[in-house]
Amino acid sequence: MNRIAGRAGITMLIAVVLLIGFAFFLGEYFMQADEWAVFPGSPHVYNGSNIGCGVTTDRDGVLLLDLSGDRTYSADALLRKATVHWVGDRRGSVSAPALSHYAAEFAGYNVLSGLYSYGGTGGTAKLTLSAKVQAAAQEAMKKYRGTVAVYNYKTGELLCAVTTPNYDPDNPPQIDESNPGEYEGLYVNRFTQSLYIPGSIFKIVTLAAALEKLPDAEQMSFRCEGSYTIGGDAITCESVHGKQSLKEAFCNSCNCAFAQLVEMLGKENLQRYVEQFGVIEQVRFDGITTAAGKFEGGTASNYHAAWSGIGQYTDQINPCGFLRFVGAVAAGGKGVDPYLVDSITVDGIKTYDAKTVKGDRILSESTAQILGSYMRNNVQTKYGDKNFPGLHVCAKTGTGEVGGGKKPNAMLAGFVEDEQYPYAFVVAVEDGGYGAKVCIPIISRVLAACKESV
Amino acid sequence: MQEGIFAVLEQQPVYLHVYIAVFRWVAPILMFMLLCRCCKPLLTFRREPEIWAWLCLPDERKLPVTHWENVIGRSKRSDIVVDFPTVSKSHCVLTRYDDGSWTITDADSKDGVRVNGKKVKIRALKPEDVISIGGVEMTLQPISRKQEQRLAQIRSKASSVLSSFGNLMLLSVLQLLTCVAFLLRGQADTAMSILMGFGGIMIAQWLLLLFYVCIRRTSFEVETIAFMLTTLGMAMIATVKPAEAGKQLVAIGLGLAAFLFVGWALRDLERAKRMRLVAAVAGIAFLLVTLVFGKEYYGAKNWLVIGPLSLQPSELTKVCFVFVGASAMNRIMTKRNLFLFIAYSVMICGCLALMNDFGTALIFFCAFLVIAYLRSGNVGTLALAITALGFAGVVALKIAPHALRRFATWRHIWETPTTGGYQQTRALICMASGGLLGLGPGQGWMKHVFAADSDVAVATLGEEWGLLVLIMAILSIVALAAFCVRSAAVGRSSFYTIGACAAASILLVQVILNALGTVDVLPLTGVTFPFLSNGGSSMICAWGLLAFIKAADTRQNASFAVRLMKSGGDEEDE
Repeated sequence: MNRIAGRAGITMLIAVVLLIGFAFFLGEYFMQADEWAVFPGSPHVYNGSNIGCGVTTDRDGVLLLDLSGDRTYSADALLRKATVHWVGDRRGSVSAPALSHYAAEFAGYNVLSGLYSYGGTGGTAKLTLSAKVQAAAQEAMKKYRGTVAVYNYKTGELLCAVTTPNYDPDNPPQIDESNPGEYEGLYVNRFTQSLYIPGSIFKIVTLAAALEKLPDAEQMSFRCEGSYTIGGDAITCESVHGKQSLKEAFCNSCNCAFAQLVEMLGKENLQRYVEQFGVIEQVRFDGITTAAGKFEGGTASNYHAAWSGIGQYTDQINPCGFLRFVGAVAAGGKGVDPYLVDSITVDGIKTYDAKTVKGDRILSESTAQILGSYMRNNVQTKYGDKNFPGLHVCAKTGTGEVGGGKKPNAMLAGFVEDEQYPYAFVVAVEDGGYGAKVCIPIISRVLAACKESV
Repeated sequence: MQEGIFAVLEQQPVYLHVYIAVFRWVAPILMFMLLCRCCKPLLTFRREPEIWAWLCLPDERKLPVTHWENVIGRSKRSDIVVDFPTVSKSHCVLTRYDDGSWTITDADSKDGVRVNGKKVKIRALKPEDVISIGGVEMTLQPISRKQEQRLAQIRSKASSVLSSFGNLMLLSVLQLLTCVAFLLRGQADTAMSILMGFGGIMIAQWLLLLFYVCIRRTSFEVETIAFMLTTLGMAMIATVKPAEAGKQLVAIGLGLAAFLFVGWALRDLERAKRMRLVAAVAGIAFLLVTLVFGKEYYGAKNWLVIGPLSLQPSELTKVCFVFVGASAMNRIMTKRNLFLFIAYSVMICGCLALMNDFGTALIFFCAFLVIAYLRSGNVGTLALAITALGFAGVVALKIAPHALRRFATWRHIWETPTTGGYQQTRALICMASGGLLGLGPGQGWMKHVFAADSDVAVATLGEEWGLLVLIMAILSIVALAAFCVRSAAVGRSSFYTIGACAAASILLVQVILNALGTVDVLPLTGVTFPFLSNGGSSMICAWGLLAFIKAADTRQNASFAVRLMKSGGDEEDE
């Protein structure tokens, strides 16, 4: 019996194999469980390809979307439309990259509790968007295709970003031959993914480059005869502006004056500054990467280079990228990146808390200040302060000629010069016509809503 | 009234949420307390030898005979060491029988065994018989009834009824809490089966304890562990297939019947030895019947469908196999018996190969290795190796195409998360989602995956009860095995020790294949987790194997499958 008892150890050997095998698994578990839990397709986190847990609210706690179960959207149809491009739809036609990006934080994985959350609801994401402002922007944009966005140039919070056309995810439209064009680019988030010919809002960039490069730029004067010839081709204005200072030329949006300015600046320098300002750079935030803009003036003929400095030629900007540039001007030459997701909380514990991402200095403080004052002058003398009661708005409109017999893109970019309302904005309306005529009423409503909501 | 309760609950999911929030902390704590209380006596009991006789040497020394089977020899590892040059290393075996009689068997010694001067091969001993081993003369003096009573009083008792009662109370609390967690979900259609499932287990465990108290057995740790795992298994069923709770309850009942029957068969060693033949025939018969009438499900032809019942007879063969493999010492010492066992194993393996049942073949192979090693030590090593090789060859040739598919995804499950690696990636995702404390009974997602209550039940357990409970479930099986190994030192007969170790090994191998297969440490083989997995045959097999563990428990008043040493002049119970 003693011998048998000794040999009984073989059973312990099997037990040891089990323990070693399971210890190996535990090692893997503690190294990788955080990844396993939120692996794409994880049933606790995703519902199909969309994130399937958690609650999304606006900055004031207004429900935008409850992802758990069968996706419950806001009860307000207007708000559902205004935010569909951020929170996604039911069919996955419109994705929600910012929410998916924080799947892990939403799910709130931790070693102790896994993905457990009280009641199984997952986390609550607070977006920086304001439901009120979104709704106002939706109302203002409902007739148009395009985008309007406002962000806080000191913190980076996106207060408003509406892209149209959009639709109610609880009542998706029938798209067929009867309504061609009505839903063109329906699923695209124009704010982050579209590219627009900027037109005259690009003059802010050219002006900034000139102010940086040419020390006496402010003292220069320009003569506009209605057209200006470079290498046999004419740059034209819609009217004859006559003799103007730089400030007046900017306010008149005088193409002839800006063609001369590009000549003085040199196209290569302009190219360098455009790149330095980050105007055409991609913006990355919350798992979103915006479309990259385009500027080819530096290698074009002098004539084309002049048009590129006026925001035509092959220029393309992304609204978000341009918004960040205008924000940097507003903030004194050193901007911040926008962001959408403010914080995510699971069972009272913050699993994500946004931090302001500061950019590099792209232009000097004095240039930023002069730019601001010129843009302020535009509003005071041209667009009308009455459109912005109680706000010191600085802006530049643009009319991006798209050719092909289409109406031009109406563009607007600017900011509010106010400690209390540090907002930069961009508006783009496709087939909109004149920038000032279309965009000013839109931003007027949106800024009023911003002021009200804060 | 029930409808009224559910109506309230449906409108107040907050009750469920609060309950789950508390439950996920309480359950692991209860489990931990249970596990500690059950494992401590199993792993730390004092191994006090039982003394059955004295061997009186000419120099007036008296050597205690502490087993029913004792090897006498020169080797230090003999049970009774007679260090004399003329004595062989393992000279002979002294065997006690149930009726208290003794036999001496020559174990192929050089010099032979003489009783009263006559050379014998095997001989029943009468009092006063003079045994001569290598020229050393001795007499055997069985202990008197009075001495036996005294010894029984001196030996420390196994755990008290009170502590067994306490364990079962704890388990009952866990069962109640689990039951409520499921009922709070407010699914009226499943409520009855859930109530029946947990209630049935509770009744069964208390009845068993009551039966033990009646026959003056006090130790209930091994059973508590089994009931604990069974409860977790019922929780898996309640979440995955609540309708099958009743079916599983019947299986548990049959399992308990098998447990008591096998235990009864083992209680009397002579009876047990006689049952070996029956077991051997039954074991092969189960497989042959399956081969002829069986149905192929999921690649293996190991299902027998009789009306509404579907059985896996190969599970029952496991119990038979242990029966056949276990053997008393006097037989172990002769090689012929080992060869018979090898032949039997080859037959079993052949049947399994024809059935394409890779997982079960592996379990039998491991059981075979354990039994062969326990029986032979070195003697049969060669035969062992050859058989092993043949075994592996047959398995490889016959089962390869079926098994290869599983090997293809092994350690590569994340590359095919929606096809080949689906079950295991879901298992890992869900186990990670459950964390250490789990999402709460019925709150997981794993239930949507195929075999969530059987082959990959550990993932469901990990997700809903947490990793801690899963670890404890695995440790509880390890504790059973450790108990068998510890008990071996004070085992009465090698029959019991081999049986217990083989049974524990089978349970362990099943856990290895099931748990490690689910988490992709090993390929998934579709083997059940003892007591935990949904499946009638598997449940019966697990309880049957548990009887072998119980039969090796020689602690005083511990096991119904072990006869008591006479204590305090009481009548021996039967």
